[in-house]
Amino acid sequence: MHIRNFSIIAHIDHGKSTLADRLLHATRAVTQREHRDQILDSMDLERERGITIKASAVTVQHEYKGETYQLNFIDTPGHVDFTYEVSRALTACDGAVMVVDSTQGVEAQTLANAYLAIENEVELIPVVNKIDLPAADPDTVAMEIEAILGLPAEDCIYCSAKTGEGIGPLLDTICEQLPAPRQAVIPETRALIFDSHYDEYRGVIVYVRVFDGELKVGDRIRMMGTGTTWTITELGRNTPQPEKVDRIGTAEVGWIVAAIKTLADVRVGDTITHDKHPAAEPLPGYEEPKQMVFCDFYPATADVDSGKRTDFESLREAVEKLQLNDASFTFEVQHSEALGFGFRCGFLGLLHMEIVQERLEREGGVEIVQTAPTVTYKVNTTQNGTMEIHNPMDLPDPSQVQAIREPIVKVEIICPDEMIGDLMSLCDGRRGIFKTQQFVSTGRQMLTYELPLAEIIFDFYDKLKSITRGYGTMDYELVEYRVDRLAKVDILVNGDPVEALSLICHRDNAEVRSRNILKALRKQIDRHQFEIALQAAIGGKIIARESIKAVRKNVTAKCYGGDITRKRKLLEKQKAGKQRMKSIGSVNIPQSAFLAILDQGDG
Amino acid sequence: MRHDRPSGSTAAEVLARVQSTDADGTTASACVDALYVHVPFCMHRCHYCDFFTLAGKDDARSAYVDALLAEASATIKAMHFAASPTVFIGGGTPTYLEPADLDRLLGGLAEALPVAPGEWTVEANPETVTAQVAAVLAGHPVSRVSLGMQSAQPHLLKALERQHDPAAVPRAVDHIRSAGIDDVSLDLIFGIPGQQVPDVHADLAAALAMDPVHLSVYGLIYEPGTPLRRRRDRGKVTPVDEDAEVDMFTSVQQLLAGAGFEHYEISNWAKPGHRCRHNEIYWTNGNWWPLGPSAAGHVSGTRWRTIPRLKAWMDQRTDGLPPVVDLESLDADAVMGEVLMLGLRRLGGVPNDTIAAACSTPKRGKHRATAISTHTAAGLLHDVDGHLALTRSGLLLADHVISDLL
Ligand SMILES: Nc1nc2c(ncn2[C@@H]2O[C@H](COP(=O)(O)OP(=O)(O)OP(=O)(O)O)[C@@H](O)[C@H]2O)c(=O)[nH]1
Ligand code: SF4
Ligand SMILES: [Mg+2]
Repeated sequence: MHIRNFSIIAHIDHGKSTLADRLLHATRAVTQREHRDQILDSMDLERERGITIKASAVTVQHEYKGETYQLNFIDTPGHVDFTYEVSRALTACDGAVMVVDSTQGVEAQTLANAYLAIENEVELIPVVNKIDLPAADPDTVAMEIEAILGLPAEDCIYCSAKTGEGIGPLLDTICEQLPAPRQAVIPETRALIFDSHYDEYRGVIVYVRVFDGELKVGDRIRMMGTGTTWTITELGRNTPQPEKVDRIGTAEVGWIVAAIKTLADVRVGDTITHDKHPAAEPLPGYEEPKQMVFCDFYPATADVDSGKRTDFESLREAVEKLQLNDASFTFEVQHSEALGFGFRCGFLGLLHMEIVQERLEREGGVEIVQTAPTVTYKVNTTQNGTMEIHNPMDLPDPSQVQAIREPIVKVEIICPDEMIGDLMSLCDGRRGIFKTQQFVSTGRQMLTYELPLAEIIFDFYDKLKSITRGYGTMDYELVEYRVDRLAKVDILVNGDPVEALSLICHRDNAEVRSRNILKALRKQIDRHQFEIALQAAIGGKIIARESIKAVRKNVTAKCYGGDITRKRKLLEKQKAGKQRMKSIGSVNIPQSAFLAILDQGDG
Repeated sequence: MRHDRPSGSTAAEVLARVQSTDADGTTASACVDALYVHVPFCMHRCHYCDFFTLAGKDDARSAYVDALLAEASATIKAMHFAASPTVFIGGGTPTYLEPADLDRLLGGLAEALPVAPGEWTVEANPETVTAQVAAVLAGHPVSRVSLGMQSAQPHLLKALERQHDPAAVPRAVDHIRSAGIDDVSLDLIFGIPGQQVPDVHADLAAALAMDPVHLSVYGLIYEPGTPLRRRRDRGKVTPVDEDAEVDMFTSVQQLLAGAGFEHYEISNWAKPGHRCRHNEIYWTNGNWWPLGPSAAGHVSGTRWRTIPRLKAWMDQRTDGLPPVVDLESLDADAVMGEVLMLGLRRLGGVPNDTIAAACSTPKRGKHRATAISTHTAAGLLHDVDGHLALTRSGLLLADHVISDLL
């Protein structure tokens, strides 16, 4: 039997999951009756948002020239935050079907994913999709693919994942042009873990590609990186229904169940071998995805004191449960005077952060208050040490800081010609360094900039979308950590620093950003019995200030017979509010203040 | 289907609860100082109003008076009155009743009362006070009329959704005086969206020109649940800013002091000898009985409210008494809190021996003593002739101070 292993890659929404549907139909893996759109997007959130978040691997059979081909393919996500899912998928494959929407053309993630494929030395089949649409311009798009990626335009397969047109030729090309998987190079078994899922009943389900040897039910296996051993209780593949098998042979893809309780026991990228006859060397793995964006989540209890405990416990449960399903976000307990107990969490990007928050709120039934996202900084201290911080409040005193380095990313933006000027001003205003400007096709260009990651996590993407009226797309990848004139800005309320509001920013932007934050805070904090000073400071030096005047009038005009009980209750509430205020310092900062300052990127 | 069976309490239960036992062991009926009578009808619902009142239910008015009189006779006979009690007929708009119904109501109440009232107030809206209505009032022992003037300026009346024309107020005052009732009180509102300090001066001048003996001047309240509040919350109405409100209040104080009025409660001013006795009963934590739906009552630490629904109040009687809601009897500590909350609204303050008692209750006494010394030191409270009272600046922060003393 012939085997072909490939991934389907593309920019967001170009039709990967829909194309996967068509492949399942054409190979009769799914009947008309079982069909629903984007069948591989099985999470609720994926179905609601219409996007793929987790890659899914399936196995189907296809007859080509009288012979049976086993096709193992992986539908991948298109969003930049989940690029690591694509790179994991590609290491398990020998080829990739690269889908480009014929009404949109090559976009930022098309390029990023194509480069990943090239780096992984997998064969690319370019597919121009959605040719059924009236706005389709497949020839121009094929030319773009040739111009930017150097894949001959005439090699592009035109298809419609909607109508099924062109799917037959695509399947034939997959069988004909994608390389057969390599043969085993050593007698011992080696299988690469490329994904893992958590199942409530069976524990962790480990997805593997077997490169050498084979795996059988009952085998005692060892994970070479972590050194742990397990016994295989189940093997299977998704067709797309889970189907148990007795063995997974060389070059095949499938899943393992081995009574593994938590995702923490499995490292994606690790190599599985037999415990009795282990391989000497593991397969080349890959790095764990790095969290790029951090923020705090606190339970949104209107009342900081009462009920806080239980809401924090619900949040903790939700966080721990979600971690079982998504090992790519990190968390640790955090305490803030103003917001109580919560978690500092790390994410792959802003979309990932949004998705995690949404899942926690939905699956855990807790409402969340989020603090402003920040990036990781590397700090050189005067004691010749370096530390990595992802929370401004962890930054040591300025006197002990020698240099602060921040993550710099290479950003690629593809957009129509006429918007290039505005986009360049946007990047320049965000401390960007211009790199290249490149022709993509008539009317479209690619702009490359180096930008501090910290600058793009503040509404950069929204600005880009509005400047380009939705036509611009971007991708970014980490280049290095670079020193700049960065400083921690403390926000002080009546002289007391509010840690959850502190931020790290470039010295030149510090005044403007601080002023915006103070203005937003001023609107959020109620007048108190005394004047409240709001200040922003760098190392004790005040760089911006605002004030909230004292309450001058706090009296209810009417109190007659019918008002007494209600009035007493209102005053009792006021009393409780004042007592609570005392316990968190003298000024009551509502949770809405923390949300309001999230929007304070630019002036 | 909705069943109008609220908490299950009835006024009969209240009566049983507030009965006092004499030294010789005989049970005496409740003793009250005042009667509050609610008339929940208005021509139009003002958008700042949170009273229980009905617009467009004019047909119900006559039967309402019957039901009210039935409630009065069932209640009053089970009760014991202090000497010269007060009666207050409020609303709603009591004078919006048909003159014949109003006549019946006043006559029926006077007849049911076993003692002659010492003060009898009727609330009225200027546009409803005709010579005929004034004559009806004067035909009974009504001694005071409180008129809802609110403002003398059409644009501000409009902002409040009040329907009268400013000229209706002096006209109503004339009718009342001609009919023989001299004690006229006027209600004014300040802090109306769009109002400025000079507007307040103009309103006061217009009011003083009518020579009232009593004035109630309220800062506008954005009550929860009112259309005005919703409009403010949606940004459709901009409240006057706090500093302007403070200036308005201060000018009211100055102007009325100059005009010979005594400021005796946060929002009330009277010519000597013309305070509203009925309201003073509320502020001294006295006992009064309510009649009519939604009316609140209090006897010796027990508070309740007659059911705030017209139909249920009319139909669900037990021994002639309607259902009640929010029935609660406070413990001694909470009673003291209310005594302070109410008493400090009066500029005369609370007698020192009452303060001493409030500061030695088991639960909150200590806390109160500390709060009193803090606020005294801050200049918000002071001693006036053996009474603890709010200072001039304390008045503006009354809620802040009082909330610490509950
Ligand atoms: N008309 C038409 N619509 C298509 C075709 N292929 C996909 N679509 C539509 O394009 C949208 C995006 O399709 P998906 O398959 O979810 O795209 P995707 O690439 O998997 O998206 P991500 O997983 O979010 O990266 C859906 O509304 C599809 O119905 C096509 O050939 N023709
Ligand atoms: S007239 Fe008075 S009681 Fe009637 S709706 Fe207006 S404010 Fe309310
Ligand atoms: Mg998809």
